[in-house]
Amino acid sequence: MSKKIKVAIVDYGVGNLYSLIGVFKFFNIDVNVTEEAEILNQADGIILPGVGSFAAGMRGLKIRGLDEVVKAIASRNKPMLGICLGTQLMLTEGHEFGNFKGLGIMKGKVVRFPILADNEKIPQIGWNKIFPKEPGAWTGTILNSFKENDQVYFVHSYILEPKFEKNILALSVYGGHTFCSAIRQGNIYGCQFHPEKSGQAGMKIIKNFINLIQYGKA
Amino acid sequence: MEKLETKFGLPAEVKFCRRCVISNQRPNSAVEFSHTKESKKQTIHFDEQGVCDACRVVEKKKKIDWLEREKELIGLCDRFRKNDGSYDCLVPGSGGKDSFYAAHTLKYKYNMHPLTVTWAPHVYTDWGWKNFQAWLHAGFDNILFTPNGKIHRLLTRLATENLFHPFQPFITGQKSFAPKMALLYDIPLVFFGEHEAEYGNPIADASSAKRDWSYFASQDKTKIFFGGVSVKDLKNKYGLLDADLQTYMPADPNDIERKKIEVHYLGYYLKWHPQSCYYYAVEHGGFQPSPERTSGTYSKYNSIDDKIDDFHYYTTYIKFGIGRATYDASQEVRSGDITREEGVSLVKRFDGEFPERFAEEIFKYLSVPEKDFPLASRKFKQPMMNREYFMQLADQFRSPHLWKKAGGRWKLRHTVWGGD
Amino acid sequence: MKNIRLIPRLDIKGPNVVKPIQTEALRVVGNPKKLAYHYYEAGADELIYLDIVASLYQRNLDFDLLKSVAKNIFIPITVGGGIRSISDINNVLRSGADKVAINTFAVKNPNFLSQAVKEFGSQCVVLYVEAKKRAQGGYEVYTDGGREKTGLEVIAWIKKAIGLGVGEILLTSVDRDGTRGGYDIELLKKIASFSPVPLIAHGGAGSLHSFEEAVTLAKVDALGVSSAFHYNNFSISDVKNYLAKNNINVRII
Repeated sequence: MSKKIKVAIVDYGVGNLYSLIGVFKFFNIDVNVTEEAEILNQADGIILPGVGSFAAGMRGLKIRGLDEVVKAIASRNKPMLGICLGTQLMLTEGHEFGNFKGLGIMKGKVVRFPILADNEKIPQIGWNKIFPKEPGAWTGTILNSFKENDQVYFVHSYILEPKFEKNILALSVYGGHTFCSAIRQGNIYGCQFHPEKSGQAGMKIIKNFINLIQYGKA
Repeated sequence: MEKLETKFGLPAEVKFCRRCVISNQRPNSAVEFSHTKESKKQTIHFDEQGVCDACRVVEKKKKIDWLEREKELIGLCDRFRKNDGSYDCLVPGSGGKDSFYAAHTLKYKYNMHPLTVTWAPHVYTDWGWKNFQAWLHAGFDNILFTPNGKIHRLLTRLATENLFHPFQPFITGQKSFAPKMALLYDIPLVFFGEHEAEYGNPIADASSAKRDWSYFASQDKTKIFFGGVSVKDLKNKYGLLDADLQTYMPADPNDIERKKIEVHYLGYYLKWHPQSCYYYAVEHGGFQPSPERTSGTYSKYNSIDDKIDDFHYYTTYIKFGIGRATYDASQEVRSGDITREEGVSLVKRFDGEFPERFAEEIFKYLSVPEKDFPLASRKFKQPMMNREYFMQLADQFRSPHLWKKAGGRWKLRHTVWGGD
Repeated sequence: MKNIRLIPRLDIKGPNVVKPIQTEALRVVGNPKKLAYHYYEAGADELIYLDIVASLYQRNLDFDLLKSVAKNIFIPITVGGGIRSISDINNVLRSGADKVAINTFAVKNPNFLSQAVKEFGSQCVVLYVEAKKRAQGGYEVYTDGGREKTGLEVIAWIKKAIGLGVGEILLTSVDRDGTRGGYDIELLKKIASFSPVPLIAHGGAGSLHSFEEAVTLAKVDALGVSSAFHYNNFSISDVKNYLAKNNINVRII
């Protein structure tokens, strides 16, 4: 019988959290949606969600003093999953509507999609494939269940540019442009896409993250 | 509390059916050619539970063994079917969803050979005409009878003036038309669609499929009125001839007896669901709903071929406080398509909406210009109809027990939604 | 080329999924929860859930029903029907929606769109347009479930809404609705030619070919489908396989 784990979702005023809550409920986990540092610190794993602009995201965290809290939790290598904007905030800086400092959990910046082939529309809204840097690179990560034909759901105009190759976990192609679709550092993960809206493929990623929290491995 | 005058013999107390949204002021289908200013209306009956007859009929419908009824229909069709190339049944209709369903089912499912007959609307809508054509192109012979336009207009004006009932000439003509065509073409079987009892006319009729003769046959020709004017006065004062009125005269019941013509309601044999008829007509014939919401209601698929329809329902709203949305919603509540609550909100929103869209055209239609009607035009206080005159006329037909003036505007004393 | 999204649309009336024809009359075709789950399992990329009588009856959609439908469906759901306030949007998102579709209220109060975008972000706000061909040419915007004329021209209205920040356009053809006679290619092509935001086509999906031409000729980004799926003319796989065969990228599970 596995111990009951405590999972918390950082509530910093941006985005719709209800589908996320639903996913964890599906796996019989009652998540705590909170902006309270104490609960976040005591959780066994946290989710950093978010949609919207980089600046608005950082502002939302700072006002609540959560930027320092999240950074500290990350430095302890506690399992953490960033989603969409949440992932972008994990990097050092963002270039949306100006230059803004991020959490700096991993080094890198967030930039806009360049002009794309075939005049492909920005934002990317829809399903897309992700792939590892090289075969087998996903073993031991929360993407280990991912199959070649699986796809996940993206909604974004800005993309991740981690500074170090080692932090790049997954790549995708949109409008002829290859970009980073997931990052990782130890137990800290960030997905540009929305696993909670990506059907079965996404559910498996969430399950792996839960396993990571529960058993120490994905 | 002063006792308010009630016009047309309507019940003094206004009540709304507990189940649907119709009020007890709803008049039953009348015998139009005895209809005068003094006529007293028979209205829909509500039982002690406050439920109207039409809802009770629908309730009964649930217990009907439709397989049995269909067997009866098959037997009836077998009895009358002709395989020698001649017509074995007459289907009167307009090409609307109901007649489409009736004719199509009789022909393609029950292997009959119908002749469809149509009594023309006063003024065709574009989409009404298109649907009529689509109907015929689905595979039917048809006789379209358009009554003498001039006479039709005059009678419509008289009916409006005296009874505030512009639809009367259509109703009278249409009712006599089918049996007369049956006589003319020697077709002993006539199929109408829905049974009138579904809408609240005396329940006693519902058990038998055959129409009551009194609806369309009359014994004494001198007791006949059109537009609230006796035939005698129509001839002497308005210069009409017998020939002009022939079209509206009902058939001689003796002839009908002699030729053994039977009139049946298809709705007695087949479960009738108007919305399903709409889908059927679309799927089998490309029926198109009206491109715009019909005035005074929310629907687009019900009775859409005559521009004067809008005014017909406006006049029922004035006379009985019942507009088109109430009729449509009541029917849909009974069919289980909407809830009573939804019906109430639709009535509140749309009932009594003034029919702007064809107003100018209809006022022109209702006018009696001297050059076209040298004799008749002089009999009217204001031969040229316009909005002002129409609204003044309307006021004469508002029963005090239904209407009151508040803040310079007319308001119904009682509404199904309860408020003002 | 990116993936084209295939999106079944559920028209909700009361407790049922209904399928109107040219936005008229409302034949019941199924149970919302069952149908939504069925499409999710069959590989739908997203779902559209519209209460099509909310504006007509001037009430809100049933949030509880939505909650029960959205539960256990883990693909994006766009919800619309009688959305008239920021709190309505909140309630809808709380009940499981990812995006909201707005028509009637936005037409009467265009600034509501920019308010919603400001509060929830462009990616959350979808402009729902009911377009009807005018006899004299051009297309008119309708509201209240395809019932009320507005006098607005579709193209002009869409341009305005894009300026106010909407993230996607859901365009339904009132004329084609329920007919399975093909999408309105002419209109969709015109909109796709200038819209910087994704365009979801709806109204008239019928033959397999009709799906393909909406993508290749009209260049839409996503395909909304009602009758063709509700009446089981095709399965989601049928359509996706056909598109794939015709060199259109789709997500196949």
